[in-house]
Amino acid sequence: MNTQQAVIELLEDLTGTDISNNLDENLFTSGVLDSMATVELLLELQAKFGIDVPVSEFDRSEWETPNKIIAKVESLA
Amino acid sequence: MKAKGKLWLIFGPVIIAAGSLILLFSLPLGWGHFSDRTERQAAVSLSPKVFRGRKIKQQALENNYVPFFGSSELSRLDAFHPAVLAAKYQRSYRPFLLGAAGSQSLTHYFIMQNLGSQLRGKKVVFIISPQWFTKQGQRPDAFGFYYSPLQTTDWIIHAKNNTADRYAAKRLLQMPSGRASQTTAAALENIANGQPISKFQTTVLRAKETMLLNEDALFSHFQANKNLARVEKSEKVLPAHYSAPQLNQLAAEVGRRETSNNQLDIKNSFYKSRLSGHRMKVLQNSQTSFDYRQSPEYSDFQLLLTQFSKWHVNVQFIIPPVNDRWANYTGLSMPMIRQTDQKIKYQLQQQGFTHVLDLTNDGNEKYFMEDTIHLGWRGWLKADQTIDPFLTKQQPAPSYKIQNKFFAKKWQTSTHIE
Amino acid sequence: MINLQPYSNPMYFVWLAVALLPLMIGLYFGKRLVVYQTIISGIFLLLIFGGPKWQQGLALIGYIIFQLLVVGGYAAYKKHANQTWAFVSAVLLSIVPLVIVKVVPAIEVGRQSWLGFLGISYLTFKSVQMIMETRDGTIKEFSPVMFVRFLLFFPTVSSGPIDRYRRFQQDYLQVPTREHYLQMIEKAVHYLFLGFLYKFILGYLFGTVMLPRLAHIAIMQRAAFFHSGISLALVGYMYTYSMYLFFDFAGYSLFAVAASYLMGIETPMNFNQPFKAHNIKDFWNRWHMTLSFWFRDFIFMRLTFFIMKHHLIKKRTRIPQAAYLINFLIMGFWHGVTWYYIVYGLFHAGAIIINDYWLAYKKKNPQLPHNRWTEGLAIFITFNVVCFSFLIFSGFLNTLWFQAH
Repeated sequence: MNTQQAVIELLEDLTGTDISNNLDENLFTSGVLDSMATVELLLELQAKFGIDVPVSEFDRSEWETPNKIIAKVESLA
Repeated sequence: MKAKGKLWLIFGPVIIAAGSLILLFSLPLGWGHFSDRTERQAAVSLSPKVFRGRKIKQQALENNYVPFFGSSELSRLDAFHPAVLAAKYQRSYRPFLLGAAGSQSLTHYFIMQNLGSQLRGKKVVFIISPQWFTKQGQRPDAFGFYYSPLQTTDWIIHAKNNTADRYAAKRLLQMPSGRASQTTAAALENIANGQPISKFQTTVLRAKETMLLNEDALFSHFQANKNLARVEKSEKVLPAHYSAPQLNQLAAEVGRRETSNNQLDIKNSFYKSRLSGHRMKVLQNSQTSFDYRQSPEYSDFQLLLTQFSKWHVNVQFIIPPVNDRWANYTGLSMPMIRQTDQKIKYQLQQQGFTHVLDLTNDGNEKYFMEDTIHLGWRGWLKADQTIDPFLTKQQPAPSYKIQNKFFAKKWQTSTHIE
Repeated sequence: MINLQPYSNPMYFVWLAVALLPLMIGLYFGKRLVVYQTIISGIFLLLIFGGPKWQQGLALIGYIIFQLLVVGGYAAYKKHANQTWAFVSAVLLSIVPLVIVKVVPAIEVGRQSWLGFLGISYLTFKSVQMIMETRDGTIKEFSPVMFVRFLLFFPTVSSGPIDRYRRFQQDYLQVPTREHYLQMIEKAVHYLFLGFLYKFILGYLFGTVMLPRLAHIAIMQRAAFFHSGISLALVGYMYTYSMYLFFDFAGYSLFAVAASYLMGIETPMNFNQPFKAHNIKDFWNRWHMTLSFWFRDFIFMRLTFFIMKHHLIKKRTRIPQAAYLINFLIMGFWHGVTWYYIVYGLFHAGAIIINDYWLAYKKKNPQLPHNRWTEGLAIFITFNVVCFSFLIFSGFLNTLWFQAH
């Protein structure tokens, strides 16, 4: 399973929304990802991919769309 | 160059705006004459903007307007109000109402500061309420509501090193509004300490005065107020020709009609909005501890007397009563009211202020008060019996003997008059 | 000695323009005049905290030295160890002055702690933020000089917006290109004039002209409606105060951002049309944004992170609820230790929790209508809930119920 698919599944698990068709949607402004879901995302990333993102490193503009998240995960993994 | 062009685009409008603003306020422009209607509106507007200003009052007082100083009773604009009577019967004077809820001696002292040339040797009417003389005296928030930077600036420029001016500066510094501006506060400190204000301070204050004057002259053209319409409507109720007995009868009739929903002879609308229901129960015996005999207001009042004396102003004082039924209900002490009345009158008479209409004992007259402590219908008529001749007939020039002891703490707190 | 309160009168803007002009010319030609900037910052701080406020000035100097020791000490420690107790103690130490300043007036009414000065809470946000980011390892090098510049950046020293250290540092060290700087100046002039409209016209109209009258009428009618004081004037007060609060504070924030831009620092915006918010969450993404984002990033997110990592709360939906309560309770206390600020905090926590339930319900029922009208209704409800919270915040109920005689 590649990173893209893993992230899409993870986001679907967390938010209950299938985002595979809108990979460039801003998840924060659309309300799909709230602060709580964001924290869960960070915890899951740590558990599944072993990447450690401190909360203060979490710059929303770099994580706002599924594509950006995928790119981030790929660069950090 | 592209960047330079952009700079002009950004700052050009700012420079033009700043330039025009400076021109608008720093030139002695005058802003023209006020129309007759604007004058009439301002005279009954009871608006803080008018109290704080200068130009419209100066113009009105140079015509046939006479200042009526007071407080909340001035807003009881029924058909027998002095403003209505003067307009209806084409008297030689028209009241210019100065005062509203919360305006007391200190506010009035500053209101008259820039009216010197208009008041000198003239007559005024002054309604003085015992309710001003509380333990605290002038409430700072109410003072702030009517506070005028323009009048204060005018006053500072002309202040002298004497008891009254030092006292006034000290009082002003006790109010947050007096401290709001750095320059003003610094100049006031000087005056309070008996030091002259510096050349620099005078220059700054003069510049400020020009600016404030332009502001006042410009914005005084905009008088939007419903009071003039109320006065004009009230005029229609009155008989075409003045007749004291006829008016008295009409006042009693109107009074009876408008005090039908309560036992206290209080106007229906006032009773309904302010007193009805549960509120009355709370108010019963709520004023037993009210005391007006000791108050800093006595010295604030002395400021006014000093000013009147300096300008040889002939003043008709009116001391309104308290509605007897209301006083009984709330437990307000009548002996205390009478002693307050005596103390005020003593301060007046000792210094040669002889025109005093004392209505203290009329609190039980029917339809004399519009509500709790405010003159209405027959009360206004009774006051008119004194006001009209005072203003329309020749009066001997007053001779005042100002005594600075009335500025002392000892007088403020004294309960024995000797 | 004169004293000038930031952005409070026309003279301040004249001084500001005169002082910033050389700096702006420098930036226009691609150079930051660091020495000059330091000198004028010093002068402005002296104007704000000097003269009759000299005691505040002393408190400020003491505060800066204290924070330098705490934050610098923690940064030095963090180089070779990373114990949780050290982190917790550094945060606690850093907020001690603010806690004292907030608690003193609550214990003895009317008394102000001599540790206090204008803007202490905003400086505390900046210091705590430094400690947290040092803990996370995102701030690696502690530069005392840059830290002091960051804390004492005079356009925002009194009431924010609350910038972030790394962002500020980057702007400070990197002079914008001429083209970019011209854009910043253009925006600055726009913000400045918008600020004049907001603070000196609309804020004045609502706050100085209308509010005292409504307050007066509402107090006269304090016995209305079974002694609850609920009257039409009180409702009017609520809306007027809300408008005043927004225009006054947004106007001030615009000035602070504009002055920052002129100095080549892109201080973040504080407001984004808050009354257009569709729900309370949306509102907090638009209202006093630098504060709410600070709370989101340094309290809420960390709290949920901590709770989830240590499985402190089993039920998933309870986690954000607990975090919201704590988050807003702290915000309430931060405003001041009075019942109305704390109730204000709890009210918003409650509103946001209810809002979460509604959002979950809406997600489960996609057949619910969604159109222009429902959006309008959402904005209307949010606006009224917010205005009511501001009525609590205003402290007027305290005056009305417990102080007016």
